[in-house]
Amino acid sequence: MNHSWLRSSVLAAAMTLAAIATVRAEDPPRMPDGKPDFSGIYTQPSTVNATGPRGNLIFNADKMAPVKPGAEGLLYEARNGDPRHDEPRAMCLPAGFPDGMLYILPIQIVQNPKTLVIIPELQRAARIIPTDGRPHREGIEPTYYGDSVGRWEGDTLVIDSVNFKRWILDDYHYTDPTKTRWHSDALHTTERLKRDGDKLLYQITIDDPKIFTKPFSQDFVLTLRRDWEQLGLLEYVCEENNRCAGGHCRPSDGQ
Amino acid sequence: MTRNLLAMLMLTAVTAPVLGHHSETAEFNPDTPVKVTGTIVRVEWLNPHVWFYVDVKDEKGNVTTWGFSGAPPGSLMRRGITKDVLKIGSVVNVTGARARDGSNNASSRSVTFADGRNVFTATNEGAK
Repeated sequence: MNHSWLRSSVLAAAMTLAAIATVRAEDPPRMPDGKPDFSGIYTQPSTVNATGPRGNLIFNADKMAPVKPGAEGLLYEARNGDPRHDEPRAMCLPAGFPDGMLYILPIQIVQNPKTLVIIPELQRAARIIPTDGRPHREGIEPTYYGDSVGRWEGDTLVIDSVNFKRWILDDYHYTDPTKTRWHSDALHTTERLKRDGDKLLYQITIDDPKIFTKPFSQDFVLTLRRDWEQLGLLEYVCEENNRCAGGHCRPSDGQ
Repeated sequence: MTRNLLAMLMLTAVTAPVLGHHSETAEFNPDTPVKVTGTIVRVEWLNPHVWFYVDVKDEKGNVTTWGFSGAPPGSLMRRGITKDVLKIGSVVNVTGARARDGSNNASSRSVTFADGRNVFTATNEGAK
């Protein structure tokens, strides 16, 4: 009898603690329509499954899906000495998605009931994502950032993106002086965003059927920086003073 | 002790990877560290990277101007380093990695002022 009472008490306590934990994890600030409020400035993702130097997006090759036979040349391209190919961002060409999303500069999320806007400070390339259930646009030329639409799954915002131009996938080339890593024009990404306190849990699924045998996902954590709200995002005009671009310092780059 | 600690920190800063809008290792060689003392003569508080220029005088009085890149203005400001910190006329000791083309340009890591203040100017905070 006493043991039974003890078991019940322990069970009740455990359930209470679990309930508190659940409430804490699933009780984000909310918009007037009840949806979680992602608004704010977030910084530098810390990689959970990815590897590479902290700060820049470099997917962990060990956690990628297998590459289709014959598709290795689509995933990796040898450097050819032209910085516009080898490292487009160094020439102020678009970072693109996903590379420009998970970067050392902050992003700002602005939200209303029908739209969520993600603005990376890098190149200020805003992603304007409808969240009202509309389908992807038709008849649009492929782009560096793709065409994105969002939908809610409970407190998780799911962003589906298609219609990409073939472009650099990530900053792999920072770790390999011989090759660069690309996605194909068949790239389809699914992002899952969820708030956990001041953390933004961010998962991206890469589905690139021209390159990989199946989709794969990697996880990141972005941190809300309330202390950066007042300064806000700053302008970032890459062309303004891009000295020594691509590793070629000209006489005008100094002195 | 403090001096040794500072030296160690500076050595760490010189050898740590630094990433940014461009591949630092493609443009600057971490194996050719630069350490100069001179006077700041020009500051370009601009994107995509802050650049500042330091006149370095050798024992014969010849002056060489070194150009140093740093983090974007936004990154420096969020570290509390405003444009006013890099004052023209300030005497500074700068560490960095030299440009691969051998020019007198480098990617800065840290700047130490005459009063001992030290600021970290590299692009990636993780390079500390």
